[in-house]
Amino acid sequence: MITKRPLIYWVKTSSMKLQLFLLIIIAVNIAARVFPLQMQRKIVNEAIGLKKINLLLLYCGLYLAAVLVASGLKFAITAIQTYLGQETLSRIRKELYAHILTLPIGFFRKASSGMVVSSLVTEVVSAGELVGQAIAVPVNNILTLLAFAGYMFYLNPLLAAISIGIYPIVIFVVPKLQKRSNIANKMRVDVTRDLSSKIGETITGIHEVHGNASYRIENGKYGEFVDRLFRIRIVWNLYKQGIKALNNLFQNLGPFTLFIVGGYLAIQGRFDLGALVAFLSAYEKLYDPWKELMDFYQVYQDATTGYGRLMEYFDVTPEHAIEPTDREPYQLEGSIHVQDLSFAVAGGVQLLKQVNLDLKPGEQLALVGFSGSGKSTLAQCISQLYSYTGGSVLIDGKEVSQMTKKDLSHNMGIVAQSPYIFDGTIKENLRYSCEALLDDRDADKQPRLPSLDEMIEVIQQVGLFIDVLRFGLNTVLAGDQQDELAIKIIRMRENFKDRFGEKLADYVEFFDETRYLNFSSVAANLTFGSPNLKEFTPEHLAENEYFLHFLDEAQLKRPLMNLGRELAAQFLDILGDLPPDEVFFKESPISPDELDDYRAVIERIGHSRLHEFSEQDQRLLLRLALRFIPGVHKMATLPEVLRDLILEGRFLFIDKIQKDRPGAFTFYRMSDYIYSQTILDNILFGKTTSDHPNAQDRINQSIIHLLIEEDLLERIVEIGMDFRVGTKGDRLSGGQRQKLAIARVFLKDPPILIMDEATSALDNASQKRIQTLLETKWKGRSTLISVVHRLDTIKGYDKVAVMKAGKILEMGPYQELIDRKGVLYELVHGAKAAA
Amino acid sequence: MSSSMEPKQPLSEYQENLEILLQLPLFAGLPIEPLKVLAYLCKRETFKPGEMVFHEHEVDANAYYIIEGQGVLLSQTDGEVGYTEYGEREFIGSMSLFCDVKRLFTLKATTKMVCLTLSREKFQKVLERFPDISIKMVEAILTGIHAWEERLLREHGHACEGCRKRIGVSLV
Repeated sequence: MITKRPLIYWVKTSSMKLQLFLLIIIAVNIAARVFPLQMQRKIVNEAIGLKKINLLLLYCGLYLAAVLVASGLKFAITAIQTYLGQETLSRIRKELYAHILTLPIGFFRKASSGMVVSSLVTEVVSAGELVGQAIAVPVNNILTLLAFAGYMFYLNPLLAAISIGIYPIVIFVVPKLQKRSNIANKMRVDVTRDLSSKIGETITGIHEVHGNASYRIENGKYGEFVDRLFRIRIVWNLYKQGIKALNNLFQNLGPFTLFIVGGYLAIQGRFDLGALVAFLSAYEKLYDPWKELMDFYQVYQDATTGYGRLMEYFDVTPEHAIEPTDREPYQLEGSIHVQDLSFAVAGGVQLLKQVNLDLKPGEQLALVGFSGSGKSTLAQCISQLYSYTGGSVLIDGKEVSQMTKKDLSHNMGIVAQSPYIFDGTIKENLRYSCEALLDDRDADKQPRLPSLDEMIEVIQQVGLFIDVLRFGLNTVLAGDQQDELAIKIIRMRENFKDRFGEKLADYVEFFDETRYLNFSSVAANLTFGSPNLKEFTPEHLAENEYFLHFLDEAQLKRPLMNLGRELAAQFLDILGDLPPDEVFFKESPISPDELDDYRAVIERIGHSRLHEFSEQDQRLLLRLALRFIPGVHKMATLPEVLRDLILEGRFLFIDKIQKDRPGAFTFYRMSDYIYSQTILDNILFGKTTSDHPNAQDRINQSIIHLLIEEDLLERIVEIGMDFRVGTKGDRLSGGQRQKLAIARVFLKDPPILIMDEATSALDNASQKRIQTLLETKWKGRSTLISVVHRLDTIKGYDKVAVMKAGKILEMGPYQELIDRKGVLYELVHGAKAAA
Repeated sequence: MSSSMEPKQPLSEYQENLEILLQLPLFAGLPIEPLKVLAYLCKRETFKPGEMVFHEHEVDANAYYIIEGQGVLLSQTDGEVGYTEYGEREFIGSMSLFCDVKRLFTLKATTKMVCLTLSREKFQKVLERFPDISIKMVEAILTGIHAWEERLLREHGHACEGCRKRIGVSLV
């Protein structure tokens, strides 16, 4: 298991070829670094001393070559190190993530997702980088040290011994200082944590502080922590700097002894001058590897403790194997036999006590009871999400706790209480459960992914069809490659107007050249068309000189700028300090990433007058005003005067642009498809004015009617399948998420279905539809265990089990239990009625 | 705010919403920052006479303030028996902001009805940013329930035998 591996494991498993190659380069590099010293000596003694120019050139050339080779190799070493480090880092990340995913559900109740995120994102970094350095840095630096030291001994053993004699002292002293520095560092972390919680406390209770004017008390308490932190930080820094200073001191002492002893020897003529120069260079070159070793020592300390803590945190054993190693996953029939099942959590609380039940393949069981009675827990024990602590659960005679995850996923479909929908399209989410069954085996053994028809069938069954159709209708078609579709839609548009136009007039604002469109943007109101050139698209309009000139001519520039200022100021006043969230921006002309720009604009312009704004600010404000849709953006109103001015401007613009730039716009005409608008808006030839379900229902009915006539229904649904549901599926409603979760399990078609209050967020009609489906299509096909919260849906089940306090009180067919007038009767008719 | 520079300009829908929220007991005790966001997130809906605002037995995750018009509570299981009438300036459905509740009644518009609606989804987003407001709002709801039963007892407690047996909602 990954968490048991020491850091050295990652070094051992990194690419050995590369590590070996690295060692070879290091060896060459060290030679290339010592070589210039020898050249130095020869340059001084032989070339300069004997005044030989050709020798000087030769030695200098060799010197230069060695330096170049050394630099090149140094870069190669760093490159290989980086590769090894990053490669290890990504291995640790992948394997740790794979491990974390398999940890029992219980683990995640105490582990915050923030902790998991920071572990995988930041905390593993130092460990990974260490592995890159683990061989290269110590080997490189120790060898370099030895090489230089060896060279020094070669020059003069006595001098070498004297100057290197200092290092053992450093090796002895530094770790002791480091230990103290570590202690101080730990204290710093603790006090910083106290300090933050103190700040948090004061800020939360700021009302009380103001109310009591207790500034002195709070400053005092806070001051105490700051003072402690002050002292600790000084100590900590002193140790850190002390280590550095000590290191430096010893380093600088070296030349001192060299000069004293070496100088004396040179004067005596027992040591040549060139050798002394080389000696000094060699000594100075000792410093770099030595410093790198020291740094490595610190990185090593940080990384090992960090890595240790990290792995300790995730050191939990997965409860079940992921997949069988010696056989294919089971193909089960779906008979379930639960005997004396019990489940206790820490503290000895028994959530399930001696539960017994038997289901034949295809039988359906409803679990009912008060919340906290253990019905969900029972379902989760049977589906291996919880590991039961006593008794047994057998599926086709095989113990569930002994099965692998894969055995279960091949045979069971689970709809959780609050199902999770992942970012992606509807289609991807529908296929999620089926796709999970794919693996690395041969293609012909793979389960088949559901076809489009199957997916459409199942979304019809669960009642998601209209929703997906709606997503399709709200799609903006890209470009004109969809010509044949566009032609059909234009045909629908005419039919729609003839047959439903009047009836739906309350819910649709039709495009009308003579009227201001309250549900279209100011830009659309002015141009009354969709742009065919990039420079006229809404994003570019405020920068388009031609358009700006037109605004001036139509006397619209200033009033629109004023509108822009009003919009920005109001919006910032409402939401300025909140972290951006999609919901807050749905009905705003400002997008989340523009928030900062507009905050800056509003601060800059302050109370200044329109003519004083910089050109940049003017354009930003215009851009905002051009996006303004009075019917949607409710933080500002469109003054009547401005509205009339815009309407007049429209006629001027249409006139002008047709003369100056014919073809720049496709105007809103009944005969043309409008590519800047959604399919729905194109069919309606207008905009819906309400997204209330009542209004949507009416529009849907008529649209579906027409779509069927044009044979476009499935085509639009197919487009809708590519709708992206957003992170956590938050662009879907709770009901839509539940339907999607049920649909994906139905598509998987497993022999066992576990549904845990799977229809709780659905409206009555959808709930009934799914219940009917379970009773007709799935009865006899899949064994079903359904945790039920509404008692009016349980009549069709083969068996009903009533639970209370972790026990099954009674179990049997619905009518039998009702006739018995026991607990179920009480639940259905109310306790008082039974009394 | 810049609107003060042009006094003739009518209030924006957002500003009107804010004024409404400030008058409602459920929101009156809240700080202005979350109220502004709530006012911004509220939505106006128009219902035609005879149209259903919400349906019996259906989950409805909205609260409503009636700006204009009238509606009546019905029970369809009892054959469209009418119960309470609701009219202008009344606020209903605050519980839906906090949890899934299936409506026990249908609300049918008897005239054209304009409502200010707030959905739970949007409300919950505000709650995430301003978690402290929930306590104040729960207090307001519970005080409302208490006052409601107190009034029922005072006005009808002696008259209706059946009601007395069922009294105790303020003890939930």
